Amino acid sequence: MTSSALPEARRLDTAAALLDLLADTATEPRTDLQLEALTLAVAADLPVLLWGEPGIGKTAALTQLAAALDLPLTTVIASVHEPSDFSGLPVIGDDPAVQGVPMAPPDWAVRLVRAGRGLLFLDELSTAPPAVQAALLRVVLERRIGALHLPPGVRIVAAANPRSSAADGWELSAPLANRFVHLQWTYDHDVVLRGLGGTWPRASLPHLDPARLREAVAFARRAVCGLLATRPALVHRLPNNETRRGGAWPSPRSWEMTLRLIAFATAAGTSREVLSMLVRGTVGDGPGLELLASLDRLDLPDPEALLADPSSAVLPERGDLRQAVLDGVVDAVRQRPDQARWDAAWALLVTALETGAPDLVVVPAATLAGLRRDDWAVPAAIERLAGAVSLSRGADHAGVRAEAVVGAAR
Amino acid sequence: MTAGQLDRDKLFTARLYAARVRPYLATALFALHPVESRRVPTMAVDKHWRCYVSPAFVDRTPVEELAGVWVHEVSHLLRDHHGRGDRFALARGLTGPGERLRMNIAADCEINDDVYGDGLPRPEGAVLPGHLRLNPGELMEDYLCQFTLGPYTQGLSWLDCGSGADGLDREWDLGPDGAHGLSEQERDAVRFRVAQGLTGRGSTPKGWQRWAEEVFHPPQPWRELLGAAVRSAATGPGGEDYTYGRPPRRAASLPGVVLPSLRRRPPRVCVIIDTSGSVSDVELGSALLEVTAISRSVGGRRDLVSVLACDAAAGVAHPLCRAEGIPLIGGGGTDLRAGFARALRTTPRPDVIVVLTDGQTPWPSERPPCRTVVGLFPRDRVAEWDEDDPDQVPDTPPDWARVVTIG
Repeated sequence: MTSSALPEARRLDTAAALLDLLADTATEPRTDLQLEALTLAVAADLPVLLWGEPGIGKTAALTQLAAALDLPLTTVIASVHEPSDFSGLPVIGDDPAVQGVPMAPPDWAVRLVRAGRGLLFLDELSTAPPAVQAALLRVVLERRIGALHLPPGVRIVAAANPRSSAADGWELSAPLANRFVHLQWTYDHDVVLRGLGGTWPRASLPHLDPARLREAVAFARRAVCGLLATRPALVHRLPNNETRRGGAWPSPRSWEMTLRLIAFATAAGTSREVLSMLVRGTVGDGPGLELLASLDRLDLPDPEALLADPSSAVLPERGDLRQAVLDGVVDAVRQRPDQARWDAAWALLVTALETGAPDLVVVPAATLAGLRRDDWAVPAAIERLAGAVSLSRGADHAGVRAEAVVGAAR
Repeated sequence: MTAGQLDRDKLFTARLYAARVRPYLATALFALHPVESRRVPTMAVDKHWRCYVSPAFVDRTPVEELAGVWVHEVSHLLRDHHGRGDRFALARGLTGPGERLRMNIAADCEINDDVYGDGLPRPEGAVLPGHLRLNPGELMEDYLCQFTLGPYTQGLSWLDCGSGADGLDREWDLGPDGAHGLSEQERDAVRFRVAQGLTGRGSTPKGWQRWAEEVFHPPQPWRELLGAAVRSAATGPGGEDYTYGRPPRRAASLPGVVLPSLRRRPPRVCVIIDTSGSVSDVELGSALLEVTAISRSVGGRRDLVSVLACDAAAGVAHPLCRAEGIPLIGGGGTDLRAGFARALRTTPRPDVIVVLTDGQTPWPSERPPCRTVVGLFPRDRVAEWDEDDPDQVPDTPPDWARVVTIG
């Protein structure tokens, strides 16, 4: 019997078999920074908002994530719902004056609460009318839908199309935007190729090290408070220009979210790349980059520790960081000058000269020489800095020659 | 020192000198990791902030010129020429080494304006926009649209600033896993620190100031921004939204349940066009195009959009349906206060006022009782300063208006 002679019902069975084969995809562990960032934020129980062009695989990523976390996925297309679907429908009972008017929740919320756990995916957030967004505010912030309260096991992820591609989109209101971790979702060519070939990257929950929890919290508090103590203007700044509307902006609430993300990233040993995406997506690019820069500085060796034991000092390889450390050392000597510390600083400069680029040493050496008191003996180590001195002289000569060229051209 | 070896001292003397004459680039210069390479013609960078250096080139180049090359190479990286080149190539479907050479040339034209002078002598053969008969002060993307490889570029085929300048990987590149590369986050951190040092510093070239302002906030297409601003102003109270004002259609099927309904009240938009002498005809033309786009974006009811030409005295508001020929009469000074007053006198009162202006005007002192969006034609403020009347300082748009810069 040829296939064309199959009865109608059997043909549909064959189609189903083909569909099953197509749906049979595997996952593989693979470094995927945006997936890692999404997973970490979901683990930290912060609402995530994925920004990406339509059809880029946001929904597919969410399906993978739900499978990996073993959470049932509830997708709600925000733009096709009414505000009452989120705030509850007023239902008039027998005696409203006595019993009040209860706000009845929709069925998906009831099922989610009954399950006690799940991943709530609010799709097409930016195309929802303002009243629907206002109702969603309560779902995201207070985790309430009508009279129901979402249990702690429910995590919230939303998705939106960027303004440039949303033909009829409303923009996100500033209060709603401030409650999300904003992640830019782009596609990686290799991931898509592997995925269409049948293997998608696997999202896995970050492994939090139980021994590092306390330390992670202390580190996160120190990082955020350290920055905000010196930069009070960064604490609260409403977006005031058109390009930044609807995105992440700094407020005490989003800083608290940042603090939580740093603690989770530290406990999980997450890379700086992923943390950078998360922090910039929570408080915005400018404040986020400032925080990351101050984290980099926290990572640098402490000038006092270096001065206490210059012989075993290890200086950073990268030139700009090395220069920052040397400047810090010289500055520490300036704060509390004495001969032993001055000598130790010279020893450090010699180490720097011997292990890296010599031009970095020139400015700190000149500054340090200027700190000398009359009764301090010149350390023998200075002789070994002769290379740096000749470098500096070479630069002086170059300046004179460049000046002469310009003069001649006039 | 034996012949053919890299003269490290000379190379680093040059970097020290570069950091002295361009202190705002010091962080970036020191973050570059030099790698000796005999395959690069001069110096070249990759996108991981390594700088490949030819020993022979270091030998034959004076220190001050070498310093210029350091600054030149680091400028490619700071300005993300490889990323921008890749995006440009992707958007236009460009392939092939010839295109990458064009990108290198265009990128050089963008930075060489700012690099040389002020202690850094310009070497022979540095590409300037003038060599290609192009205007100075534009961006790589602008230049790429304006020239093709031909007689003017023939002498430039040797040009090679590496994959950091044009995005095409070279055989000498160490790649992402090689030693001493900067990760994406580290690159952003360096760029951020340089930009931070640049903003609020008075004496830096204009090209660098512009870069610092835009490096993490590239300008967005103004059409989308204006559309979004108008849409958002129009969908506030009074626009399309849910109300409990009248029963919805599906109420009959759910007795006992009070349902809200979606009511659409398309907003009335009044567009005030600044027809003063300081706005050019081309700008007015594009402004009119936007008016039609705006009328479409709020629901296509052209009878709800009216247009008002305004110079020192406001004209009459014309409904858009009659406005294929809106009389854009005017010239002379502007007083937008007259325009606002005229717009608010129309009945029924508009829900949104959109102003298209160059901002050289006094503004109403009080917030008008409707939402306001300002489409601002940018002006070089210093150049526009009225020499005859130095007291007259044009006000910036007030903060109750949402401002979108056009063009």
